[in-house]
Amino acid sequence: MITIRNMLRRITGLLTGNREEPVPFRILFADFKKSLELNNQILDLIGDANDKLSGDYIFDEQYIRTTCEQLTDLVRQLIVIINHLTGQKYMGLYRSFHAIEEDIRAILGGRLLNQGDELILPYAEINRDLMDMVGGKNAHIAEIGSLLNLRIPDGFAITTAAYAAFIRDNRLQEPIETIRSQWQQGSIRVEEASKRIRELILGAQVPQELEREILKAADQIVRHHQGISPCFAVRSSGLGEDELASFAGQYHSCLNIPLEEIPRAYREVIASLYSPEAMEYRLQMDFRPHEIMMAVACQLMVPAKASGVLYTYDPVNPRSESMLISSAWGLGEPIVSGEVPTDTFVLDRRGTHEVRQMQIVRKDQSQGLQGCGGLKIDRVAVQEQTAPSLSREQLQELARIGLQLEKYFKRPQDIEFAIDQHDRIIVLQSRQLRLQEQAAPRACDLTGLGEQYPIIMRGKGVAAMEGIALGEAWVLDGKRKLEDFPMGAILVARHASPQLARVIHRAAGFITDIGSTTGHLATVAREFRVPALFNTGDGTRQIAHGREITLDTECLTIYGGLVQELQYYAIGEEPIAEMYEYRLLRRVLKKIEPLNLVDPKDDNFTPEACRTYHDLTRFVHEKAVETIIDLNFYHTHHRDTQSGRLLWDFPLDLILIDAGGGIQGEHKTGVRPEQITSVPMQALLQGMSWPGIWDTSPVPVDVSSFMASLTRTTQTRNSSPEEVGRNLAVVSAEYTNINFRLGYHFTVIDAFVSDNILDNHIYFRFSGGVTETVRRARRTRLLARILGEYDFLCEVHGDIVVARLKRLDRDSMLKRLFLLGVLVGFTRQLDVQMISDSKIDEYFTKIKKIMEEHDDQGTDEHSHP
Amino acid sequence: MTREQTSILILDDEPIVSKRLKPSLEKKGYEVETFTSSEAALKRIEERRFHIVVTDLKMEGVDGMEFLTRVKEKYPDTEVIVITGFATMATAKESFNKGVFDFLAKPFKLGEITEAIRKAEAKIRGTGD
Repeated sequence: MITIRNMLRRITGLLTGNREEPVPFRILFADFKKSLELNNQILDLIGDANDKLSGDYIFDEQYIRTTCEQLTDLVRQLIVIINHLTGQKYMGLYRSFHAIEEDIRAILGGRLLNQGDELILPYAEINRDLMDMVGGKNAHIAEIGSLLNLRIPDGFAITTAAYAAFIRDNRLQEPIETIRSQWQQGSIRVEEASKRIRELILGAQVPQELEREILKAADQIVRHHQGISPCFAVRSSGLGEDELASFAGQYHSCLNIPLEEIPRAYREVIASLYSPEAMEYRLQMDFRPHEIMMAVACQLMVPAKASGVLYTYDPVNPRSESMLISSAWGLGEPIVSGEVPTDTFVLDRRGTHEVRQMQIVRKDQSQGLQGCGGLKIDRVAVQEQTAPSLSREQLQELARIGLQLEKYFKRPQDIEFAIDQHDRIIVLQSRQLRLQEQAAPRACDLTGLGEQYPIIMRGKGVAAMEGIALGEAWVLDGKRKLEDFPMGAILVARHASPQLARVIHRAAGFITDIGSTTGHLATVAREFRVPALFNTGDGTRQIAHGREITLDTECLTIYGGLVQELQYYAIGEEPIAEMYEYRLLRRVLKKIEPLNLVDPKDDNFTPEACRTYHDLTRFVHEKAVETIIDLNFYHTHHRDTQSGRLLWDFPLDLILIDAGGGIQGEHKTGVRPEQITSVPMQALLQGMSWPGIWDTSPVPVDVSSFMASLTRTTQTRNSSPEEVGRNLAVVSAEYTNINFRLGYHFTVIDAFVSDNILDNHIYFRFSGGVTETVRRARRTRLLARILGEYDFLCEVHGDIVVARLKRLDRDSMLKRLFLLGVLVGFTRQLDVQMISDSKIDEYFTKIKKIMEEHDDQGTDEHSHP
Repeated sequence: MTREQTSILILDDEPIVSKRLKPSLEKKGYEVETFTSSEAALKRIEERRFHIVVTDLKMEGVDGMEFLTRVKEKYPDTEVIVITGFATMATAKESFNKGVFDFLAKPFKLGEITEAIRKAEAKIRGTGD
């Protein structure tokens, strides 16, 4: 049997006698092909790994380790190959690779990593991605302010990078470790160890640069809020495990600190990292030395009239559907620590949040600010002592805020708040509320739910994110605008379009008729832990707009009505996405998945700028294509390796390299289409030049401008002609390998077509650019649909479409290559045209029509073997 | 419909497997006990019978193969489902020779294991498959 490899070897064997070219093209091309193979494997693995975050898989740490090992191995091979191909031109890749590999190993070893060097981050720049750098408290409060539009105290984070600098500059690592190990070996008591370490920290200097940055950040905030107390609260914002209730309150907070005193307070707060309780706790939880870090929150002090705590559930009796609020006059510290008597309110979680119970106590003292610097105890005016510390309106607004935060964080919340001098509610902190264990119902209570509640849908769709959502169904159709989507509703839509991610902060759940678990919306749903059920087929028709429903994605069930039993079940169990393995996978993926190297024209498109495995893969692919083109077109080459630019009516900048029998005749000035004898290439070009492509488009686009849009995107329009495109096709009589880079878009086609069915294959990979996610996603869906229609095995990872086809007869293969030609031309144009979801159907029909016209010409209509 | 709840024992030294499976299976009406140590699971097996046993293969101490051998000796009617991160043809073959009902390679989808459990249950109850 003739394998493709043998075939290639035979075709290109003629070249080996080349005297001028040190490495035969055959070998270089084999390298190139191998690099493509690796590229595909890597991108597939990355897509699969993200899919695991849906909660729909059982995976363990072993899986994460194995996947990282595989990826590391593949990326290393890729770097070896590109250096082989280019004569060791990109050795810098090794350095980036080793840095990333080292980070991944550190993450797998349980070490937390800073994601940047910033010592200070203002709240406006913080999101949950920076959790490991700014700690949970900072990350949460900053998101509440920026994404939920609730009032928070303005502030900034002093990062774990600052902590690392503090320890490093004062050379504290070693002495602290010595004391710690003395304690662990039992030679000193924990109190003694704690005291000595804290003395070390309190006696150390805050690095000058850090002090400068702290004062600068604080000063900016003070200027921005003139008239408000110019003092700060300096609190711990711990990492990971200290989110647990058992850790709360073990760290120190400094209140009402004047600007210039912040560095001193900072030292005090980080010294509390070594309180005896915290040290014992970490020992118990097996913390490693490098995991002991602290970020700090600096927040503008709120001169509170009243303060309090809100629980969105009664933790002892969650089924009572109540919220608990306790409050008193003045600052919150004595309320939280239980030092003063407080008013207690019990509110209904539902409806208009009726006050069910109210217990008002005598509050004769309150804590207040002592100017700037220090606190004082005030005597409360007699008429206010027995008055409720919150008004009815404030209670109801608090209840609404509570539910909003609960919906956003997907767990019951424990919220600290203050009422400022203008009677406005300021959220100071929101963290997960732990409910008592017995609150979860016994499993047997749950069987037979279907008898109590009508089932709207069961067993249909795929879970893009596991979970349970209760709420009103809000069906997105032509009549409604996404902007009007209400807080806490469940969005029901036709497509899992990335556009829907805009309401992620408001949505309790997502249900779509069509959509894949590897799409952009699925990724976002997982990031924000919003339960999502995609691909239900006809959810939009089955679910009435405005109906109260319950979505259980794990059981692929949608109930009519609010199934409270499931809600209790959901809040009672540990959320899957919070488990260690999920956190670990998310952390390693940050070193693997993001793509920072986008435009090859950018100055940062360098080996040194690669920060993830995806970056490395992208860089290598770009350079591999470039190298093959350069070697064979711009440089001297053997007379038998023919190459030339395609001379066509359309300005498609395609360089053809003939590996044997793919081009005939003389082509010093370029290759005319009729000179191409490569069978697969002919079929592709025929598809690309089919008149129907542009004639049927709704906006008239002439041939040249269409092809211009194909080869010259806005990003490359101003480049010199040689720089545009970089499109390469290696052809032989029966083989074609094409790499198109069209601006930010990539298309790879690898096809072998002969009379031997067993050897025949087509591989097609299409990936979108970085702009216009919505239209790009529509295009992805269209591609997947049309390719599926013509028997391709299709996978979609984000906006990458991979389609494979094997073992059809010659004519059936050529028909599908014609289709790919049509698609390559079409899809680029579609980026602009895909202005609405209905365009998908429209273009699907159009492409099918083109295929029929093509068949009618009797070119090659054959049934499958 | 009143019948005895189907009981399942899950043994995997990685806690996430039990944490993930237990609530999900309980919600579907199964009675579930989970173990991360094969010694403890072995002790439990001596005390009572489970309809279905789900076990990992590679573990510290008594490994999964030994464990499932013991289960099948003591309760030939108990159906065993093997889940493993190190699936090889040899281990799969050995498992089936020992009368294992199904063999799943990690990572797998929640739906795959619930389906395997459902089939095992149907076999035990003689209601098909």
